[in-house]
Amino acid sequence: MSAPPDPTNVRLSVELGPLHLEHPVVNASGTFDLLEHARRYEGDYFADFPYAAYVPKTITADGRTGNPAPRVTETPAGMINAIGLENPGVDAWIAGLPAWAHLRQPVIVSVGGNEPGQYAAVVRAVEAHLAAADPGAVPSIEAYEINVSCPNVVSGLQIGADPAATAAVVGACRAETSRFVLAKLTPNVSDVTAAARAAVQAGADGVSLVNTFKAMVLDRETLRPFLGNRTGGLCGPAIKPIALRMVAEVAQALPGVPLVGMGGIMSGLDALEFIACGATAVAVGAANFTGLEAPARIVAELRAGLAARGLATPSAARGLALDE
Amino acid sequence: MSQAAREEHVHGRQWAETSHCRVAGVRHFGAFTALELVAPRVAAKAAPGQFVMVTVPGAGFLLRRPLSLFTVHGDRVGLLLEARGAGSERLTRLEVGESVDLAGPLGSAFPLAGAASALLVGGGIGCAPLQYLADELATAGSSVTAVFGFRDFRAARAAGAFAVERLWVASEDGSTGRRGTVLDILGVLDVPPGTVVYACGPTPMIAAVQRWALDQRLSGYASLEAHMACGTGSCHGCVVDTARGRLRVCSEGPVFALDEVRP
Repeated sequence: MSAPPDPTNVRLSVELGPLHLEHPVVNASGTFDLLEHARRYEGDYFADFPYAAYVPKTITADGRTGNPAPRVTETPAGMINAIGLENPGVDAWIAGLPAWAHLRQPVIVSVGGNEPGQYAAVVRAVEAHLAAADPGAVPSIEAYEINVSCPNVVSGLQIGADPAATAAVVGACRAETSRFVLAKLTPNVSDVTAAARAAVQAGADGVSLVNTFKAMVLDRETLRPFLGNRTGGLCGPAIKPIALRMVAEVAQALPGVPLVGMGGIMSGLDALEFIACGATAVAVGAANFTGLEAPARIVAELRAGLAARGLATPSAARGLALDE
Repeated sequence: MSQAAREEHVHGRQWAETSHCRVAGVRHFGAFTALELVAPRVAAKAAPGQFVMVTVPGAGFLLRRPLSLFTVHGDRVGLLLEARGAGSERLTRLEVGESVDLAGPLGSAFPLAGAASALLVGGGIGCAPLQYLADELATAGSSVTAVFGFRDFRAARAAGAFAVERLWVASEDGSTGRRGTVLDILGVLDVPPGTVVYACGPTPMIAAVQRWALDQRLSGYASLEAHMACGTGSCHGCVVDTARGRLRVCSEGPVFALDEVRP
């Protein structure tokens, strides 16, 4: 702890498996749309892109219209959402790739479905396109994030709540690609390390956690569920302490497995806490809804937070919260 | 509406950068509060129908609140709000000299072209964007008539916040203007053929105005309201069903063609 607290001495870049990230902060899937930001931005958003990698909204094999409204509302220190994986389907998504092919940062494709074959179909379609496309017409897709928080087509329960179902989905995707595969885990389990272990054994290269917490909000006039889907996923600062505990548990149980930590990161110091719990990279979700400027602010605060603690790199902070 | 006209208002320019804006004026009208903010960047780019996302001061609030532009004069932007929850209640307690963060202008705007005669129909807080629209239509030489409905005496005091040449008011409790709803006034109004209808208000009012306009063979626009998280197209939280499928109020809206909404 001898380096002076000069933020310019901090080197923020990290390696997430084979992905070189200019700093550890990426966006959480479904909370941030690159093209929607670009069309509302005064300058060149691609030149000023604030995240180290871009994680688009989850793509499924077929298009989905999502859940009925209302889909979102604020809760104490957080928010709840039930969007329902609204997306145009993988073919339409692929057709849209040329519009943002010039993004400099690596892309992590978020994949959803309700059974292993649907997940695998998304990865297969993306790989087939990448193999055939002019490299100038596609962004740098370097990884997949397998979103196992979708309901299982048979049981209706979240796939990620069942380690065997998680392994089946991850295994089906693994068979379709040699790129880096992250499993994005649901926190709606009693032992998150069991799901993480199942995912890694099935071929995941790394783990992202946590997705949202299944929750409910009532309309206080009618005392009926507020959301069109009755239940939704809770995110924001309210979940951060639980997310930190879960990231630390997985880091402790699976040393050496790259982790992307998330859950209520609103500031650079929040991000630093996830790194101290063992995360290599972190993802920002609900904070995107507080303003366009949030990601750049969080990266700057992370830099300052490392410097103030005499830490020259994020790796120097990684795991500081874990047991010896 | 032609495809070209639809594209023009759907793809109006939007800006998401945040401006730190000083509160220059606060006026209370019954259940409503009118804020005047020094917001040159927003004012310079705004069009009627667009909205801003407003950060609620204080540590307890996460999401910004969507508020439509009530007035735009010079570098000043006016917002009209009604306390509905803790966040909007906090905004109604802003005082002159305090500051709030605004992002915008966002969303689609009301097309003004072809509205030599314009009929503005508002319900409750939904009247807010119609003042800015009335100002711009009047500047463009349109003949503007407004019909506003409020639920009770407290809400109807909001009519005092508006300056429209021909303004008809209905209140459900009969305290102000005609007893009833905007439909009761529309039923007795002499509306010239070709009049363009602009509606903003609660869903049942939009549905009733849509039916009335269809009967009268009038076309127009509706501005819709939805619960939003981002306000900038990312989260898909604010969708509504339309003739073009499920669309985002923040991004494809809030202004839609009156005949395409499915209230």
